[in-house]
Amino acid sequence: MKLNVIKYGQIYLTASALAILVGLVAMVISWQTLGFPLRPAIDFTGGTRLSVELLCESGNAPSKTCGEPIDIGFVRAAIAEKGYGKATIQSLGQDGRGLSLQTGDLEVEERSQLQANLENILSKFGKIDVTKSQIQRVGPTIGNQLLTSGLLALILSFVGIAVYLGFRFQIDYAFFAIVALMHDVFITAGVFAILGLTMDVEVDSLFIVAMLTVIGFSVNDTVIIYDRIRENMKIWGEKSSFDDIVNLSVNQTLARSINTTLTTMLSLVAIFLFGGSTLKFFALALIIGFSAGAYSSIFNATILLASWRKRKTLTQQAI
Amino acid sequence: MPKQSRLLIVILVVVLSAVFWIYKSPPRLGLDLRGGAQLTLQAQTNPKQGIDKITPRIMETAKFVVEQRINGLGVSEASIQISGDDQLIVQLPGVSDPAQAERVLGNTAQLEFRKQKIGTESQLRAERQVLLDKQLKQQQLELAGNAEEIAKNKEDIQKSQNAIAELYATTGLTGDLLKDAVAQPLDAGQTNWQVALTFNDKGGELFAKITGELGGTGRSLGIFLDNELFSSPSVGPEFQGRGITGGTAVITGNFTLQQATDLSLQLRAGALPVPVKIVENRTVGATLGADSVQSSIIAGVSGLILVLVFMIVYYRLLGVVADIALIVYAIITFALFSLLGVTLTLPGIAGFILSIGIAVDANVLIFERTREELLAGKTLYKSVEAGFNRAWTSILDSNVTTLISCGALFWLGSGLVKGFAVTLGVGVIVSMFTAITCSHALLLAFISYPSLRQPSLYGVKTIGKVNNSSPTIDNSTGTIL
Repeated sequence: MKLNVIKYGQIYLTASALAILVGLVAMVISWQTLGFPLRPAIDFTGGTRLSVELLCESGNAPSKTCGEPIDIGFVRAAIAEKGYGKATIQSLGQDGRGLSLQTGDLEVEERSQLQANLENILSKFGKIDVTKSQIQRVGPTIGNQLLTSGLLALILSFVGIAVYLGFRFQIDYAFFAIVALMHDVFITAGVFAILGLTMDVEVDSLFIVAMLTVIGFSVNDTVIIYDRIRENMKIWGEKSSFDDIVNLSVNQTLARSINTTLTTMLSLVAIFLFGGSTLKFFALALIIGFSAGAYSSIFNATILLASWRKRKTLTQQAI
Repeated sequence: MPKQSRLLIVILVVVLSAVFWIYKSPPRLGLDLRGGAQLTLQAQTNPKQGIDKITPRIMETAKFVVEQRINGLGVSEASIQISGDDQLIVQLPGVSDPAQAERVLGNTAQLEFRKQKIGTESQLRAERQVLLDKQLKQQQLELAGNAEEIAKNKEDIQKSQNAIAELYATTGLTGDLLKDAVAQPLDAGQTNWQVALTFNDKGGELFAKITGELGGTGRSLGIFLDNELFSSPSVGPEFQGRGITGGTAVITGNFTLQQATDLSLQLRAGALPVPVKIVENRTVGATLGADSVQSSIIAGVSGLILVLVFMIVYYRLLGVVADIALIVYAIITFALFSLLGVTLTLPGIAGFILSIGIAVDANVLIFERTREELLAGKTLYKSVEAGFNRAWTSILDSNVTTLISCGALFWLGSGLVKGFAVTLGVGVIVSMFTAITCSHALLLAFISYPSLRQPSLYGVKTIGKVNNSSPTIDNSTGTIL
């Protein structure tokens, strides 16, 4: 397989631009309906979340009694009747014997009361297993703190990477590597904006971690191709055009780019399938981000660099 | 003995000691994996008492008080850490509902004994009746369970309590003059409890003076906890003048055992230097944690197997080398986690699984380069050497950028995020090490066996016999020949 990234450059860039545009539209819609570009979890907004599961009474697998599947509609109505109208309730687990309840920030007394209410309502279906329950409470100040520090970490690593690349390569390499990274971040955020609108998927602090990991990994791919371009420039610089060198370097590193992305994907798919609910969407964010990263490294970062260099040479010749 | 064989023996020794170390002291698990509650407390400034800034000294005192209170709860292995400038992180392993801890920690429990002001007797009676009515109403509301009405009534109760507090004058006899507080049963059936107090010398004197003033006047002694009247005993006429001496007293208030224990604990642990607020609570049930451990083991192992198989299928003999290097990598990294005292959390494990991907990348880079050199007709030995040398700058550059992201995460991230940054960062560093030492030595050892020198094992048709010293250029692939 041989790619001519330069010849079909416009097509690859247009595809990226379209994908980003769709994501941006989703973010705008999300902004208008939710007030945020992505659906934020209580990590950022502050709030209390309780997850409970029904107890399986003693005995081995065949004989154990686990209570009935919970009728979420019934629980919603009963909770609303108790004055928690704003609470969102979702079913948890495959057999529907668990649920999560999310409200605004509650103090301990208020929460204990809510728990008592919930236990009371759920007694119709079975007893709550305390060892399988989960309480998350994030105060509004902490929520703000998590968001600011997360965004700051994102900006900081952008700057750190730009400085390192500018130092190791040249300033235009660094610039287009960052452009490629922006692409990956926007694509991933766009997909999650769509998921937030359609499936109520929320972004929490792990999502910011995922973004940072995507940046770290995706820049890997870009660096390796740039590294090859730099090396080929030393050998061919005087005889070949920059376009040819870029094409050559992309193809030389293509097997590596694909194989590395593939092996990483294998680990991620394993986390996505078996890693439990906490890590599921974390793994998904990485899968999307890494795919976007591999794409932008092979196509966008190289195409943009080549066309910039071409324009620069032309301007210089004109002078 | 050839150099690479010596290196292999060193690696073997390192791996064996790593296995031994993992067996002897496995990495600590975070609360999200073994179950427990993590509370973040934030110290609040208290301008009324002249505390406008939270100093490290205040945090030390707050930590000490929090420790005392937690110890009183009887949670084993609890840990308290200062985080940032004004936060305390309290970890309570095995606690699946930290409500009691939250109540005990969130309270400043400012205890003060106050004197009733002269001429307020009838007013106090009226105000107490108002309060009682509202409290009864509260009980009924709680049965009905309407959150909004409950909140409103709570406000009314607060107002009523403030009105009562107005009727008392401060005396300076506060919780810090208290030596001990214990819960005691009030009756034989042990349904009602009281808290017995013992004052220190200064507190005893003050107490005697106050009770002496109040004795026989009909005005009551107000025991206030956080500005709420808990108990208002009257002092008998026999104590007029001399007061209650001996430095002991009891607080009664129809407490249950639980309430009396909580109260005595708060009093005993002393007052916090500043009010603290619980700003974060992450609690995971023990079984849920164990489930997470199980699912991450399944995810990690299946991810690893998929990668191992892929490498052998695609890179043949080189894949075997990479796989051995990968397993060595996984063992050394895991041993380092416990050696460095890294606490494994769920995101931390994700970071580790992910770092397997990076460790593979280094090998892939090297092998792709080696293959290119082989295709160009170089000898096996030369190709391997060139593969390692040329891939090295790429590996270094790409890993440094990943480390930059890790650094940003570690520096700015919260607890959960930090765990991820640490495991990924450690993984990246170890992977560079294993790629250049382990893979390299193994590969050189392998190619010294003639039976392992067949071209098909490396995915090429032929292997060059002699080193081509004059480079020519192949325009189709662009590699140097």
